[in-house]
Amino acid sequence: MSRFTSLLAQVMLTGTLLAAAIIAAGLVWYLSAHIGQPPGDHVFAGEPLYFKSPAAMVQHAFALGQDGHRRSLVMLGILLLLLNPLLRVGLAGLGYLLEKDRLYAGISAIVFAVLLISFFW
Amino acid sequence: MTQPLFDIAVAAASFFAGLLGALIGLGGGIIVTPLLVLAFGIDIRYAMGAALCSVIATSSGAAAAYLRDGISNMQIGMFLCIATTIGAVCGALLAMVLNQSALAIIFGVALLVTVLLSLRKKSEALVPEDESDPLAVKLRLPGEFPGPSGPVRYGVAALVPGFAVMWVAGVLSGLLGIGSGAFKVLAMDQIMRLPFKVTTATSNFMIGVTAAASVGIYLKKGYLDPALVAPVALGVLAGAFVGAKLLTVAPVKLLRIIFLIAVSFIAIQMIAQGLGLSLS
Repeated sequence: MSRFTSLLAQVMLTGTLLAAAIIAAGLVWYLSAHIGQPPGDHVFAGEPLYFKSPAAMVQHAFALGQDGHRRSLVMLGILLLLLNPLLRVGLAGLGYLLEKDRLYAGISAIVFAVLLISFFW
Repeated sequence: MTQPLFDIAVAAASFFAGLLGALIGLGGGIIVTPLLVLAFGIDIRYAMGAALCSVIATSSGAAAAYLRDGISNMQIGMFLCIATTIGAVCGALLAMVLNQSALAIIFGVALLVTVLLSLRKKSEALVPEDESDPLAVKLRLPGEFPGPSGPVRYGVAALVPGFAVMWVAGVLSGLLGIGSGAFKVLAMDQIMRLPFKVTTATSNFMIGVTAAASVGIYLKKGYLDPALVAPVALGVLAGAFVGAKLLTVAPVKLLRIIFLIAVSFIAIQMIAQGLGLSLS
């Protein structure tokens, strides 16, 4: 595992910092268009459809000028943040596979499958 | 309060929660949700969604550091993640059908239990490697961590009960949008009797993976408002980072007692709010 451990640590750290940077930039851009407006989090209304699936989110983030487009960019950073653990498990599984450790490649695959199902189902 | 003042205030409060969490050894997620609900009047579902994202952020950062030091046990972490991720999916599905009041009450109770768990003395009695649970040996779970005089080997006890408690920790994580680190540590430290260092490091690896299993369901239900998640996640992440640096210089013992009392009051407020009472 050791070969992969440092790569894994690097990916996790870089991914987190990159996501944080995108979120911060997106937030500033979003807020600059909403100065003086009240926040909308006091009453739960759910979120628009384009925030409810990763695919729709990515698509909407590039639909310039549309309603909620600035929020979509923030969401893209958040999505990157959320994919970090998925990547973590995937890479670990790959590492086990390369070491021909079938037991732990299998265990990683189970965890990876649960994550995939909850994300994309 | 209007924008951008509202988000700035939320980011500041989240920074404080992350700082506190790191200093007293609770997660930032379990402190930030009551703050958002009680002080900002945010709907608990949006608050839980934002907190869950902040949990993933801090766990990824901390786990990277621990992985590098070679303290976490990847095998144990990955194996127990089966229990926590399945639990988290169950918890998130349960959260979708409960109303705000029920969530607030359960949250308050879980917060109180977390405070009690963190007051508990950590157990020191390790299991010798040859007295490990046979199933744990089969799964190659016993490992070693770098000690002051070379690597220290350790065994693993009671794998099945540990696995079961991990499932419960996963349910709580998905149900309340928290990392439920305290419950994971309980399973590894108290039941499987792993060394405390290994427990903390491995639980950090697991927290992010567990949270990721329920965040997809939160997303689909519209619990993630980017305009709230952003200041909360960034605030908690920065606070946790500064808190970890401060740990070595701050009077941690005194701070812990003061803040644990404060957190207990917050927990009681949450329960009261869920019951429809007003304490202020």
